[in-house]
Amino acid sequence: MGLRAVKPWIFLLPALVIYMTVILVPSLYTLYLSFFSWNGIAPTKTFVSLHNYIDLFMKDTVFPRALKNNLLWMIGSLIVTLGLGLSLALLLNKKLKGRTLLRGIFYFPYILSGVVVATVWAWMYNPTQGFVNKVLESAGLESWTHAWLAEPKIALYAVFVAGVWQGVGQPMVLFLAGLSTLPQDPYEAAIIDGANPFQSFWYITIPLLQETFVIVIATTMIASMKVYDIIIAMTGGGPAESTQVLSSWMYYQTFKFANIGIGSAISWMLVFIVMIVIVPYVYYTTKKSHL
Amino acid sequence: MSGAIRYVVLIVLSVLFVIPLVFIAFTAVKSNADLMNHPFYTLPKQLHWDNFLKAWKQGRMDMYMKNTVLISVIKVPLGILIEALAAFALTRLHFKWSEPLFTLFLVGMMIPMQATLVPLNILLNKTHLVSTYPGIILIYIGFGIPFGILILRGFFRTIPKELDEAALIDGCGDIGKFLRVIIPLSMPAIATLVIFDFMATWNEFLLAQIFITKDTMKTITTGLMAFRGQFTTDYTLLNAAVLISIVPIFIVYLTFQKYFVNGMAGSVKG
Repeated sequence: MGLRAVKPWIFLLPALVIYMTVILVPSLYTLYLSFFSWNGIAPTKTFVSLHNYIDLFMKDTVFPRALKNNLLWMIGSLIVTLGLGLSLALLLNKKLKGRTLLRGIFYFPYILSGVVVATVWAWMYNPTQGFVNKVLESAGLESWTHAWLAEPKIALYAVFVAGVWQGVGQPMVLFLAGLSTLPQDPYEAAIIDGANPFQSFWYITIPLLQETFVIVIATTMIASMKVYDIIIAMTGGGPAESTQVLSSWMYYQTFKFANIGIGSAISWMLVFIVMIVIVPYVYYTTKKSHL
Repeated sequence: MSGAIRYVVLIVLSVLFVIPLVFIAFTAVKSNADLMNHPFYTLPKQLHWDNFLKAWKQGRMDMYMKNTVLISVIKVPLGILIEALAAFALTRLHFKWSEPLFTLFLVGMMIPMQATLVPLNILLNKTHLVSTYPGIILIYIGFGIPFGILILRGFFRTIPKELDEAALIDGCGDIGKFLRVIIPLSMPAIATLVIFDFMATWNEFLLAQIFITKDTMKTITTGLMAFRGQFTTDYTLLNAAVLISIVPIFIVYLTFQKYFVNGMAGSVKG
């Protein structure tokens, strides 16, 4: 091989080596581990073929709930976070005073870490001194107060509200970017044809925003499957495992209960689910860019 | 929708969004007695700035902040340099493996961090890199590579090839081409990447939680968790710590707001 043939490899070497060491090889090794029963310390691992995966559905009582919570989070995000993000984008998509400030306010929580958001909202939800219960008490609605994060039936929804607060800026900004590229002609034509604003929105804006919708829906779905920080930092998966999601349950199984095989199987379930979203998304975007 | 209604809706929503931040700011400057004895919406009787000092020193926010700054300051430029070198090879050094290698790097975006934790833990334990700067920086750089290459490759491709030829005529080798043509012209993309990378590093929690076990090495996110464990019911102090951890990112945000809002939209669209 001449220098010319070797040179690209020299430029690629650091990235390739680190990438293989940190992501590629470890993830494949995790897949391998998911076929074994192992406590992480013992010198021998017992091969169990697909039993870790089967056990997740048949024996593990928390895993199905964690999966369900991820799906609930995803549906909630697609409706509430995405809907609110789109509404804010539509409201802000006009020349108006204070637009930059308002946009900044809605986007700001998105740059905070999950731990900060969780700490802020844990304080908001504090049963005795938190803002939420205090306001309800002041309004004479004592019966509506709750120990928001300590009641298994409502904890997930309480955490989700914090997630919406944190996450709404992302779709808002993407929709604003999409809206700013829309042509004006179809709207003028629609007004001439006597369309009302709702009809223009439904028949013109939504179809023209198709590409943005695909991006926002795909990123929202992927983020919902990976949700972790805010759960761990707000409830730690409790009370009574009611707020466990796949990633937090993977953490408990692996690092708290030393079920390395089970934990690895959960993480690969996560890989498969994320692929279900990403593969069609990549297919769509590459098809678009080749047109 | 008429202008007035639009404003009312927006203002009501923005007030709702600001409430949590105002609430922590109010709590952070109160004394514990004030917090207990007066309604939550009252202004602090006396401003207790010493809460911040206490959180900073006794709560060890100073240490967590120092660790995070150190990690970010090394990780961000080093990571981008490594990504830029790779993106340069993929776009500029006529090379038949460009496409398959790029795809290989993209696969990394599909893999959740969870799927790498156990092997990485074994690796770090064997190399004695748990709770060290090199260990966590190596892992952070690794996870930054797929996105960094995606963005930089996309941008490098838009730089006209004629400039390469001009550089060649001027006697630049490939390194010269990289340093004097591609990098200077890519500053907008690099600036966006620096900001995102800084933010991602500053906010990272999962990897820091697993690979930094020593308290003196903790970063701002894992440090805040440790702080919460230690000062469970000292709400004024806890909220002061939260504000301290927000300040740097808030300053970065205010300074580079344009990059955040526009860069975000641009980069996700790729």
